Amino acid sequence: MNAVASLLEYPSSYIEKLGNIHRILPWIMAFVVLLPLPHILETTLNEYYVYLANRICIFIMLCVGLNIVKGFCGQVTVGHVGLYAIGAVTSALISLHLGWSFWISLPLGVFAAGLAGVIVGLPSVRLEGAYLALATLGLGESVRIMIAVTPFFGSSTGLISIPSPAIGGFVFDTYRSYYYLVMTAALIGIYLSFSILRSATGRAFMAVREDTIAAAVHGINVTKYKLLAFVISALYAGAAGGLFAHMPPGYIHHNNFTIIEMVTLLLMVVLGGIGHIWGGVIGAIIVTIIYDQTLEFYFYQPLLFGLSMVLIVLFMPRGIGGMIDRYLVTKRFMAIQEGKSNGAS
Amino acid sequence: MGFDYSSLFAFILFGLTIGVVYGIVALGISLIYSGLDIVHFAHGEIYMFGAFFGLVFSNQWGLPYPVAFVLAMLCAAVLGMIIERVFYRRLTKGGGGYTVAGMGMIICGFGMSIVLMNIAFLIWGAGAEPFHVDLGMPFQIGDITLPKSYALTAVFAVTLMTVLHYFLKRTKIGLAIRAVAANKDIAYLMGINVPLMISLIFGLACGLAAGAGVLIGPMQSVQVEMGYLMLMKAFAAAVVGGFGSLPGAIAGGILVGITENLGAAYISPNHKDIYAFLLLILVLMFKPSGLFGVVARVKA
Amino acid sequence: MSKLNKTGTVLGLAAVMGVTLSTFALAADIRIGITMRMISENGQKYGQMVMDEFDMINKAGGINGNMIKATLMNDECKSDKGVANAVKLVAQEKVHLLIGSSCSSVTLPIVDVTSKAGVPQLVPHSTNDKITKKGSAWVFRVPVSGRYYAGVNAKYVGENIGKKIAYLCAADAASQNDCEAMQAQMKAQHGVEPAYTAQVQEKEVDFRTHMQKIKNANVDGIMIAALAETMARALIQSYEAGIPASVRRIGSSSASNSPVPKIAGDAAKGVFFAAAYAAADTRPIARMFNEIVKSRYGINSPDHDFSQAYDLVRIAEIALGNADLKLDSASLAADRTAIRDAIAGVKGYQGLASGPISFCAEATPQCRDGNRTAVLIAYSKGGENYKTEVLARVTMPIDFGL
Repeated sequence: MNAVASLLEYPSSYIEKLGNIHRILPWIMAFVVLLPLPHILETTLNEYYVYLANRICIFIMLCVGLNIVKGFCGQVTVGHVGLYAIGAVTSALISLHLGWSFWISLPLGVFAAGLAGVIVGLPSVRLEGAYLALATLGLGESVRIMIAVTPFFGSSTGLISIPSPAIGGFVFDTYRSYYYLVMTAALIGIYLSFSILRSATGRAFMAVREDTIAAAVHGINVTKYKLLAFVISALYAGAAGGLFAHMPPGYIHHNNFTIIEMVTLLLMVVLGGIGHIWGGVIGAIIVTIIYDQTLEFYFYQPLLFGLSMVLIVLFMPRGIGGMIDRYLVTKRFMAIQEGKSNGAS
Repeated sequence: MGFDYSSLFAFILFGLTIGVVYGIVALGISLIYSGLDIVHFAHGEIYMFGAFFGLVFSNQWGLPYPVAFVLAMLCAAVLGMIIERVFYRRLTKGGGGYTVAGMGMIICGFGMSIVLMNIAFLIWGAGAEPFHVDLGMPFQIGDITLPKSYALTAVFAVTLMTVLHYFLKRTKIGLAIRAVAANKDIAYLMGINVPLMISLIFGLACGLAAGAGVLIGPMQSVQVEMGYLMLMKAFAAAVVGGFGSLPGAIAGGILVGITENLGAAYISPNHKDIYAFLLLILVLMFKPSGLFGVVARVKA
Repeated sequence: MSKLNKTGTVLGLAAVMGVTLSTFALAADIRIGITMRMISENGQKYGQMVMDEFDMINKAGGINGNMIKATLMNDECKSDKGVANAVKLVAQEKVHLLIGSSCSSVTLPIVDVTSKAGVPQLVPHSTNDKITKKGSAWVFRVPVSGRYYAGVNAKYVGENIGKKIAYLCAADAASQNDCEAMQAQMKAQHGVEPAYTAQVQEKEVDFRTHMQKIKNANVDGIMIAALAETMARALIQSYEAGIPASVRRIGSSSASNSPVPKIAGDAAKGVFFAAAYAAADTRPIARMFNEIVKSRYGINSPDHDFSQAYDLVRIAEIALGNADLKLDSASLAADRTAIRDAIAGVKGYQGLASGPISFCAEATPQCRDGNRTAVLIAYSKGGENYKTEVLARVTMPIDFGL
């Protein structure tokens, strides 16, 4: 019996591996499809659109991270830009002062943001809803003010000439080459968010969101999972921050991390759909493009964005992602109905 | 060199005078929170609108300052009621606070704050407007100079507090408001017009914010971007005093004002704005019910 | 909706006429991109003035028969938006000349964008030293660099006022730079350390604690380095705190902006600062300029936003006139280089700013901080109809403060 079992073990594990490859395969395909994008954009349009693609990828990372803590774990946080700032400043300072390469400074920046995520997440253990929003708001704003008044962190002049990442002789100093970096990072980010949310951890997040007490009754360590959600989202923010800091022209300033940026992120997540797995991605793309298209109406732009935020919350609380979900569900339902009626006749 | 007590006194006095203004805005935030279970993130912009209303009435129409003060409060109250009725009502109906609607309310509030700021910019422009009110010579206490506007602020704040307290505790409408704040369903069963009371709460809160705006106008000029920092400080004040507690809000405001002034004076002047947040976070972490607070409600 | 329709029409036209025609239509335009903080009073004024001046050049027949096509964008004084604008102007609008930005913290990253893309950049309003120290061959600064202002200020303060100075610095890049440069100059010229120094938020509203401490420090003067509105508040509160008028208030260069006297009112009286232009200037060219601004915008005493905008357009006009431009789609890089070299060739331009402005070819601050004449100005009357007087006019040596 044992021999048979051990004999079966090899192929079954092999099949399991195949299954894993099957799961990664769409992502590799997406990567391959997205690879020539900057080339296409630059030849048909111009470099500015490659720059926009870079920005979108960074926003996607921020939004996906925000969606984990906000959409899936149901924790109201308004301090995400603070973590983004910590990632950016840490990575920038390490590469500026210690001269370490991007490949070391970025993980350190991500790590610092993760640590800060623990601090931002700590109030969530005791606080809920409005209180948590205020606590995170205070923390996020404190980070920005610290940067603004401390010369070491760049103060008002900002951190200048942050070096571009490089592998050997190849330097990511154009938007076209930098795109490969941010696009890869964004894809990995989305992939990881999928695998987290489909694991037991993701289910625990959702249980905490739906009903904290019921989740605790079912043996979920609520404190642990709340903190975990904050830390994961902080890691995303830190990575986005690091990538933003090293993006040409390598400059960060404290007014890149104000409450306005936070509101933009909220708009992206809400528009794409809170708690929808593609929500942040859809939102980041749409908002960036609309922002770009309405640049010349700068007097009325805040009105447009503010009002659309209010109206989305009022009339489309699940965002675009929610609408797509509903459409798909309805379609499936109709198909089932049709199948039933066909079977009956 | 001995310790300079007169300076210490001055710093506390400065904190007190600005703290009362934080307190008045915090009062409105607390009122909305206790009545509707939501945090209103556009309250800073209502405060800004109030200051502009006061400026228009007082400097452009030439009305006396107290009249402008009351008129600005009324206008902002109406503005607040309209916003609440048109936009927020759909959300608050679904319940605020800890629910998904509560999160929606936070996002909605942010959106509204941007909208209001942009509207004010389109009307009044980006520049700061001077708000001249001639109140006469400043008071002289020892070697501290205290302009009359600061003293006036304190007087107005105390008056507002007293009127509000009397209104809530002694009048029938006040009782109805408190009933709605305690429990909407039961208040409804008792025959109270709950939607009207909610409008009233919102109007009252917005009126208070506008009052603070008119008070601060002569001390600091009036500008479109003035709301945000005040909102932060007022949040800190509301939380420190105990979210939802009305006397706590004023006390919290004074505490925040004094803390940041003493911090700026004796610890580090550069980090003045962080002290308020630090206080906010410390209180939230260790005593979420606030220093003077009601017990924080937990969903069951 | 109309925007969509417009785009539709344009696309339709392009499809009908073909691409060649549209590039042909662009060929005779000199494209200039401007990015500035437009949601603020001085940004609006500056932007308005620049656009109006370009319009007038076009109406007068353009430059060597070529029309100017100016695109004005708003960066809200945020570096990421400024960079986005710059990339858009350079890559999409394919501008020949970039003007930007009004905030030092936005100009700093844009310098890298223009130097990489090879686009000449005229800095309209930023005073931060580091902009020209980056060593870009493509950047030219029209306003006076912060280092010259500080030198003039420090000299005057040390000789006429005293050496015990308190500093109140706001956290925006220009004020910070003015403040630091001033402290460095006071040390270099008079060997004194600051009596009190504090950094405040960019939009701080309550300065009373600082003022009380400054009052106790018994200083000879207070340097308030902040943007216009913040400075006005600080000035008012300095009097409210009871600091006597005998303690002179020293402003940073943004004290020149009209909100300072307008908001501060009487508190602005006696404030002096180094700036690029004084409305009280008695030279005929300045008189004439005051008249232009008054008839066009109804403003009595134009501040150095207006004068610098005017100077900037004149310098651009001279350079574009001297440059040998082909202006077809193949010559973009050559045209940009030609314009850069033409700007570098501007020597001794006598502008409204009281001294000559000269640039040269090397990518050094000595060459690129073209305007070296700071005017020491004091407000003799505050309020809506404020008045200024000129205390001194100093042209600094080229290497000063490096």
